[in-house]
Amino acid sequence: MGTYILRRLLWTVVLLFFVTALTFLIFNVLPTADPAKLRAGRNQTPETVAAIRDQLNLDDPFLTRFFSYLGDLLFHFDFGTSVLNDEPVRPLIFEALPNTLMLVLGAAVVWFVIGVVIGTISAVKRGSILDRVAMTTALVAISAPVYWLGLVALYLFSSDLGVLGLFPAAGTYDASRGVFTSISSLFLPWLVLAAAFSAIYARLLRSNLLETMSEDYIRTARAKGLKERTVVFKHGLRSAITPIITVLGLDIGILLGGAILTESVFGIPGIGRLSFDAIQRNDIDIVQGATLFLALGVCTMSLLVDVLYAFLDPRVRY
Amino acid sequence: MSRSSLRALALSVAAASSLAIVACGDDDSGSSSSSSGAATTASEAPAEGKQGGVLNQLGASDVDYLDPGHTYYTGGYQVAYATHRPLYGFKPGQAEQVPDLAEAAPEIAADNKSITVKLKKGVKFAPPVNREITSKDVKYAFERAFSANVGGQYATAFFSAIEGAPTEPTKGVKEIAGIETPDDQTLVFKLSRAEAPGVAAALVMPITMPVPEEYAKEFDAKNPSTYNKNVVASGPYMVANNAEGALTGYKAGKSIKLVRNPNWDKATDYKPAYLDEINMKTNGADASVDAQQVLKGSAMALDTNPPAAELKQAATQYKDQYESVPAGGYRYFPLNTTIKPLDDLNVRKAILAAFDREAAVKARGGAFTGDVATHFLPPGFPGFEEAGGEQGAGVDFLSNPRGDMAVAEKYMKAAGYASGKYDGDAELLMISATADPGKAQAEVAKAQLEKLGFKVNLRLVPQDAVYTEYCQVPAKKVAVCGSAGWFKDFQDPQSMLEPTFKGSNISKDGGNNNLAQLDDPKIDAAMDKAAGLQGDERLKAYGEIDKMIVNAAPAVPFVWDKTTIIWSKDVQGDVNEYYTTLDFAFTSLK
Repeated sequence: MGTYILRRLLWTVVLLFFVTALTFLIFNVLPTADPAKLRAGRNQTPETVAAIRDQLNLDDPFLTRFFSYLGDLLFHFDFGTSVLNDEPVRPLIFEALPNTLMLVLGAAVVWFVIGVVIGTISAVKRGSILDRVAMTTALVAISAPVYWLGLVALYLFSSDLGVLGLFPAAGTYDASRGVFTSISSLFLPWLVLAAAFSAIYARLLRSNLLETMSEDYIRTARAKGLKERTVVFKHGLRSAITPIITVLGLDIGILLGGAILTESVFGIPGIGRLSFDAIQRNDIDIVQGATLFLALGVCTMSLLVDVLYAFLDPRVRY
Repeated sequence: MSRSSLRALALSVAAASSLAIVACGDDDSGSSSSSSGAATTASEAPAEGKQGGVLNQLGASDVDYLDPGHTYYTGGYQVAYATHRPLYGFKPGQAEQVPDLAEAAPEIAADNKSITVKLKKGVKFAPPVNREITSKDVKYAFERAFSANVGGQYATAFFSAIEGAPTEPTKGVKEIAGIETPDDQTLVFKLSRAEAPGVAAALVMPITMPVPEEYAKEFDAKNPSTYNKNVVASGPYMVANNAEGALTGYKAGKSIKLVRNPNWDKATDYKPAYLDEINMKTNGADASVDAQQVLKGSAMALDTNPPAAELKQAATQYKDQYESVPAGGYRYFPLNTTIKPLDDLNVRKAILAAFDREAAVKARGGAFTGDVATHFLPPGFPGFEEAGGEQGAGVDFLSNPRGDMAVAEKYMKAAGYASGKYDGDAELLMISATADPGKAQAEVAKAQLEKLGFKVNLRLVPQDAVYTEYCQVPAKKVAVCGSAGWFKDFQDPQSMLEPTFKGSNISKDGGNNNLAQLDDPKIDAAMDKAAGLQGDERLKAYGEIDKMIVNAAPAVPFVWDKTTIIWSKDVQGDVNEYYTTLDFAFTSLK
């Protein structure tokens, strides 16, 4: 197991190197506009642009800039500096990260629990009205755009604009007030972000569980006289849920790069919102930093999931 | 400057934001809806307000810079004018500049080559500097803005006439011999050209806000300068800071907290500064949600135009909760006068005549966006009336805002096209932004040109690239810039017309703001003469220049923008027409 983890870690490092190289290439060789000209504004002169290029080291050869960036990244965990307002990127990401973590992990718990419960009930009660209602609801939830769902949720349930006023208003999440003080502001974003994922997970689990429940070993378990609950939860669900864990890990990893729409609608200062603003402003270093962070999130979660697999599925050995 | 919402954001797109810019070019990144429902007039004086309270401003984007030597966008200006004392400023609702740090109006020498400004006594810097402001602090503010480390974005554009002013960014802060400080309260600008009226009008810009050299020089020595995070205030408010001066109240991309400057003396200032604290949220929620929260909530305001639906809602249901003001600029479609067949004056007149400008305004969001333009100097701006007011120059090719094909065909025939339509092979390259409203208005412009038989290649590029990579680069041979705008830097017609239409300002190396590349010696000569004039003569001269430009038909002027700001029912808002957003120093709670 130790060797496997070490091997995967090494591969993760290699993968991240290539992601970094590719990201740097895309954002530094193929930008839509010269960052120096953007920073110089409309009253620019060739001399002003030249001074800014010098300030930002944009005239250095590509490889020099890349290895300088890589060195800063490796040895100082430095993601560079915003080309538009001189803010270092690392603190921006690290300040946004806890907010995204709170949003994503909370939502993941919600969608995982709802997905597993509904998926299991639908599989066990296959063809029943409950199953049909659950799967139709799931289809609606998958089809509803997060952005639209967020706005509808706010106009129905938020304390200032909502008809029912059950949850705190958009823009009230403020981590500086303390996690537990501001956590209630995340209830609505959790539900909105979790809606589509819950539906997908429920459908996925239902499908897996139905397939598993037709396996020979399930029939054997039943023949041995085990209670149906034991058959479903101990033998069926344990096997059916394993692929879900893989998807869960990757989904969390991807969302660590930012749940852009949810964060934007609810005014949560997470990595998604940071990236969205940076993309709008063509602030290359922030977009680049957020992209690398996303890659790091996906690689880390992928590694964790693979390790977790061994514990969940006795058939898996490394 | 270009407008954002931001802008932008955006860039503005913007974008943004978007991101909204105070002056010069516009990047289309911000929301564009506005209304005339509660427009103030130039004679309207700010109302009395209640002392105290906390205002929360919601916004979708951060300021560009807090450093007064570097900022050049609406958001940055809003903070700068609340936290610093420029030499001159503007009261909301008044078009004339008033002395702020200065004691009285600038004294301009008879030869227009020298400006003397006397400063008030007893104006102090905020903590941690705490000392009285002198003329040397303003001199240093100018000098540092010319340095590469600080990166001032307009110093060379508007203050190059000062003797010894650098023509390119300096390495480190260099002394400018033409700025003299004979004593602590006197500042003398010696000019190498007789342009004192124009330079004096520009003394409202943030470059005139004092910076204490002994405190700032260690930050300015770094490249880029780190003064942005250690700015020391001089106005009624300051960004919350610690004992060393580091700004603890600024969270990049999140929020800015303004508190009272304990060293501000009301007796020295025309600003009432009713509020005790202002919290600016710079990463608000969805724009519609923010606007709804402001309209239905308490002690809140929005930083820029609300979306169209909320604007309509404000105009119909919350009539006391918004103010709409002229944005002080014009949007136009420059026609590149160096490209065939646009090099023919009659062809350009034909295009202006055929152009349905109302359709272009509709594409930007309709009547709330602004009024159909008939020339370039916008309403409420010095020289507007002299340029013909709303009627404009009275030319037949701009008389019908819906376009007039008969007049257009007359000019096409005069240009040698017997059918009254273009029958040549040339294809016109039009550049615009991929996002609306830039895209929508460019599509309208394309249709207008096609009505006259032109073939148009409309190329849509990211907003950031529209100006810097295409329209401002003569080598790219852009025939029509599909999303151009120019907004005021200060209240002087010179700054509205010279950068955009003076032949000698054409820059072939890029960064060119004369997008039409109009190079008319008569117009240039008139501009040179007008630059030295003062008072009514100056306004009359620039009014005539506006008419000359219209007659040269280098662009289709199509809208004079308006900006609308909304606030909560318990807020008495006041929009400053200079930087077209809420003036914190005049806004109060009810």
